[in-house]
Amino acid sequence: MSGVPVNDDVFAALANPARREVLRLLLEGPMAAGELAEHFDMRRPSLSEHLRVLREAGLVTEQRAGRNRLYSLEAAPLEEVTTWLHPFERFWRTKLTNLRDLLDEEDL
Amino acid sequence: MTEAVPNAEDPTAVHVDQFLPHPARKVWRALTEPELLERWLTMPNDIKPVVGHRFELLAQPVPAAGFAGGPVQCEVLVADPERELSIKWGPKWTVTWRLVPEGTGTRLFLSHEGFDPDDEFERVSRRIMGGGWRSHVPRALERVLSALPG
Repeated sequence: MSGVPVNDDVFAALANPARREVLRLLLEGPMAAGELAEHFDMRRPSLSEHLRVLREAGLVTEQRAGRNRLYSLEAAPLEEVTTWLHPFERFWRTKLTNLRDLLDEEDL
Repeated sequence: MTEAVPNAEDPTAVHVDQFLPHPARKVWRALTEPELLERWLTMPNDIKPVVGHRFELLAQPVPAAGFAGGPVQCEVLVADPERELSIKWGPKWTVTWRLVPEGTGTRLFLSHEGFDPDDEFERVSRRIMGGGWRSHVPRALERVLSALPG
């Protein structure tokens, strides 16, 4: 039925509320593991495990910055998920972009 | 006038808005003239901004939603020039456009209502994601997605 393949790992990663919270925090911008940890009442190894799952699902990327690891959101798989969840929203967004282009081109 | 309050938690509706740097007069024409409407919606139609006007729209499929497309019977429910156009879109949907002046342009609000909250697509997404995902992440995600190239 769906024309958009979404990796099973992505859904498995999203099925956990702590991991969704990590993604929500990363929407604001890249964050170091230590900064992320301040938002959670859990031991660092548990958070590291969640970050590993997110990384393996391709939802976040990790960069070493000195002694720290910096995590960033990877938009492409999330975009597939949104398309899967809200196909009509994406559909209308595309149409509204068409409309803007048409109005920009045409002197009505 | 239909009051469409954007609500990310409402599983029966889709709300999208777009700023258009053009006066409402132009936007209204693009919504209500068949040739112009077809050019951006890519759906042949014989729309008229007259309440009660019935027309056919050849809808494109939306495969990701399991929507096959094809001819859709429509009827104009509200036609308030340069302000609101509401259309009954097939047997269960209502598509409403509201035009709100913003600076020298127009903000266009779309509400696509009448989705069945019990359909498979909704149940699956709720089961996997839980409530929180739908309520706050998509809005924030949109900001990220809109900043992506292409």
